[in-house]
Amino acid sequence: MSDSDAALVARTLGGDLTAYAALMTRYRDKFGRYAFHMLGNREDAQEALQDSFVRAFRSLASCRQPERFGAWLFRIVVNRCRTVRRRLQRSRRFDADLPDDVAAGGERPDAFEWRDEIGQALEQLRPHYREAFLLRYVEGLEYAEMAEMTGAKEPALRMRVKRASDQLRELLRDVHVR
Amino acid sequence: MSMSAEHDDALDDEVLRQVVSELRRPVRLDPSLDRRALDQIRAEATLRMAPRPDRRWRAWLAGAAVAAGVGLAVVLPDQQRPAGAPASPVTVEQGEASSDARSVRLRLAAPASSRVAVVGDFNDWDPAATPLRPVGDGGTWIVELRLKPGRYHYTFLIDGRRWARDPSEPPAAESDFGAPVSVLTVS
Repeated sequence: MSDSDAALVARTLGGDLTAYAALMTRYRDKFGRYAFHMLGNREDAQEALQDSFVRAFRSLASCRQPERFGAWLFRIVVNRCRTVRRRLQRSRRFDADLPDDVAAGGERPDAFEWRDEIGQALEQLRPHYREAFLLRYVEGLEYAEMAEMTGAKEPALRMRVKRASDQLRELLRDVHVR
Repeated sequence: MSMSAEHDDALDDEVLRQVVSELRRPVRLDPSLDRRALDQIRAEATLRMAPRPDRRWRAWLAGAAVAAGVGLAVVLPDQQRPAGAPASPVTVEQGEASSDARSVRLRLAAPASSRVAVVGDFNDWDPAATPLRPVGDGGTWIVELRLKPGRYHYTFLIDGRRWARDPSEPPAAESDFGAPVSVLTVS
């Protein structure tokens, strides 16, 4: 049985870096996916995630609920993505980087194009709409959790998710039926 | 974190359901990402234990730079580098302006190094205060600072024992004083 987050946090605070490595391994894929979809390219997503890991380590002693380390770390990732996103907007540096995972059996023959269209559509959303949509539907957070994480009120988050959904539906409908 | 959002009404829409399904697919990340984060954490821990240079040393270092006439920004963006000059390992990007500070990114090419820090007027020449982080696999290190407009003397400390500044500086300034100091002007 794997160690709990709380146990790994305690070991890390006691000086065991292998415990922190285990925590990073536990969350890297999930939070890396979020960073990738928020930032639109792999290099910036990896930089944001690496920064988040280091920042979380620096302030690990302030993680008051070590059993909820994942949620605490995710908040750092979300904030880091916001910062990187603002920097990217200033430099207008976006590229349509795509997941390069191996195509699964039975995948649509135009799957690559479909992913590209989704990436382009996400890119057209306002950042806080995109953030709310990803947190709600891709990461599966409740609105209360999203409010805690982002600092926004639940009604505002519901509105952002709805508007993001409407825009994505509109942008992708024609592609989808093709 | 729950997954009840999967059953949200909005996902009754077929288009959105397929979008979300696609976005939940795994994204491949650089497998060395965790190791780089750990390397940075170890480097910071080591720097925290490094002795701080005493005030007399700092005053001498800053004075040497001023005496050498490096009052202009010696850190040149690539496009301003004189023809034939060696490629500079240091670049500065002055980014977002705010009411009282600007975002400045320092980049240093230091291959085969295990830790890099910047020390200068902005952090009281404290080698533990501002570590750079490695990016990619090419030995590039970066750090972002928030600096108010002004002139700052600074230099890089590599592996806790080696100094580095912009090699495109005239060699006289370096050979005269042996103090590898750069001056950054934030406007």
